[in-house]
Amino acid sequence: MEEAKTAGPPGSAKGRIAALIWKHRMVYTLLIPGLIWYVIFAYGPMGGLILAFKTYRANLGIWGSPFVGLKNFDYVFVDAAFYRSVLRTLTINIGRMLFQFPMPIVLALLLNELRFSKLKRLVQTVLTFPHFLSWVVVASILINTFAYNGLVNSVIKLFGAETVNFLGNGKIFVPFLYVTEVWKNAGWGAIVYLAAIAGIDQDQYEAAEIDGASRLQRLTLITLPNIVPAIIVMFILAMGNLMSSGFDQVFNLSNAAVREAAETLDMYIYRITFLGPPNFAFSTAVSLFRSVVNMIFLLMADKGAKLMGSEGLLS
Amino acid sequence: MRVKQENRRGLRYVTAGDIFIALIAVIWGAIVLLPFLNVIMISFATEAEYASTRVFLFPKAPTLASYQQLLNDGRIAIGYRNTLLVLLMALPLSMFCTVSFAYGSSRPGYPGRKFIFYFVLFTMLFHGGIIPMYLLMKELNLTNTLWSVVLSGTVSTFYMIIMRNFFSSLPESLIESAKLDGASEWRVLWSIILPLSAPIMATITLFYTVDRWNEWYNAMIFLQKGSLQTLQLVLRSIVLESRVDSIIVSSGGSIMYDKQNFTMGLKTAAIIITMLPVMLVFPFLQKHFVKGVLIGAVKS
Repeated sequence: MEEAKTAGPPGSAKGRIAALIWKHRMVYTLLIPGLIWYVIFAYGPMGGLILAFKTYRANLGIWGSPFVGLKNFDYVFVDAAFYRSVLRTLTINIGRMLFQFPMPIVLALLLNELRFSKLKRLVQTVLTFPHFLSWVVVASILINTFAYNGLVNSVIKLFGAETVNFLGNGKIFVPFLYVTEVWKNAGWGAIVYLAAIAGIDQDQYEAAEIDGASRLQRLTLITLPNIVPAIIVMFILAMGNLMSSGFDQVFNLSNAAVREAAETLDMYIYRITFLGPPNFAFSTAVSLFRSVVNMIFLLMADKGAKLMGSEGLLS
Repeated sequence: MRVKQENRRGLRYVTAGDIFIALIAVIWGAIVLLPFLNVIMISFATEAEYASTRVFLFPKAPTLASYQQLLNDGRIAIGYRNTLLVLLMALPLSMFCTVSFAYGSSRPGYPGRKFIFYFVLFTMLFHGGIIPMYLLMKELNLTNTLWSVVLSGTVSTFYMIIMRNFFSSLPESLIESAKLDGASEWRVLWSIILPLSAPIMATITLFYTVDRWNEWYNAMIFLQKGSLQTLQLVLRSIVLESRVDSIIVSSGGSIMYDKQNFTMGLKTAAIIITMLPVMLVFPFLQKHFVKGVLIGAVKS
């Protein structure tokens, strides 16, 4: 409190804050290295989004380039390829919600019901591993597996059936995305739900057993309702990505034969930016659109979750 | 008590349902495991044996020829060197910034605490994306240096929050008594907090390492020079870009090698060599997230 007196007239609000700041000056020195990074490399690019309202001149840089108002967006919103990519992204992601999102929940319930603990640990280890690999590695492995002469097609041939062109068929490409995503990440996704299940009060199960509840009843009446909050949180997070659709995955699994089916919004942005004459301002406008829509979806999902009586994600 | 009894009984009386559940779990596990095994087997087989096998290859005379060929080729070595350099530069920087920021922001009572936290949290919700990042790197003259890759992902807000939660859970009295002895915040962090934080430090270091190991997109955008390609990009050029049907990949960042067709043995050996380090650290990763380090963070 000695310092409070030196830093300002006692009792004045400004002086009190200045004294508090002085008292905690060492804390600020702890924060500074991280803050410098955040300001330059997180907020810097965010500020760079101003480019969406400019026309880019390499010699003037982002800040010196002249403003053009909403002209870039005028061009974006008349580009048919842009609309197609938005529609494709939404379709793929609604499919992801339907086919991909439930799989970690199913897996967690399955593993929870698995009563051979050694087998449970082994399966969980195997299923979690691919999460830690990049999509470059996973795509390399799965393309080897699904190629014409790969493992899957040789099994198909063994049964005398016709081989399938898994990798070069636009119709198969989207379901292929769902399957490979589940292959890679369902095991990791299940961990959150397994943790939620582990937190369930055991008394509930005991009471249910005394009441003569069957295994299925215990699953649907106790386990499932208890992990609903976890499901909602994961759902909100997934909603926040409705306009991005796993660029790493799509980029590494796709090839020229499925280019049409694979052109999601992320792939469209990549194509217009890095393949061909770059128009950075235009690309930035598209990418700003994506970020804003993503954030709106996330906030909406959060509001929705709160209206339904859940805690939500953002307090 | 009842639960225990139930478990003991459960092991003795295995029902049809138990078998069914186990069967599904085994099949799911096999579906994930088999592609890995297949890749490993092919990498140890000769090209002739690979070509003549109908279903699942099990090399009768395992050979290291593919690996030898790969090492003679040299590009995997370049990839390893660059990725290791990135790690060497990035890990100390990442850990320093993450730990000091996490500890600083976990301290109570300083003005602006809430604001600074939300300032950082916001970057998880919204970010500038690759194009402004690329132009920023260009203006800082960092493109075509490994620093662009290092600096684009120095702090992970997610890992920072995990660490902050851990620091917040430490007893305040410990820190207060050290401060009474005249230790500064940095001193407290260094000689009181860090010795207590070995497991979480190891975990976060491992997570940063794996992220860096797997990073490829920023490297592809920022690094045009072939001699700077990281391991994942080398793997891309060997396996994915050498496919005959693949033309989508000819980005500015990754045209570097002539697109020859590699043998399956070479490709699979490259896959194994790229993921080997992740395989080696995976048991440690698993041990720590099972302990709930990450799950605690997800909840809060």
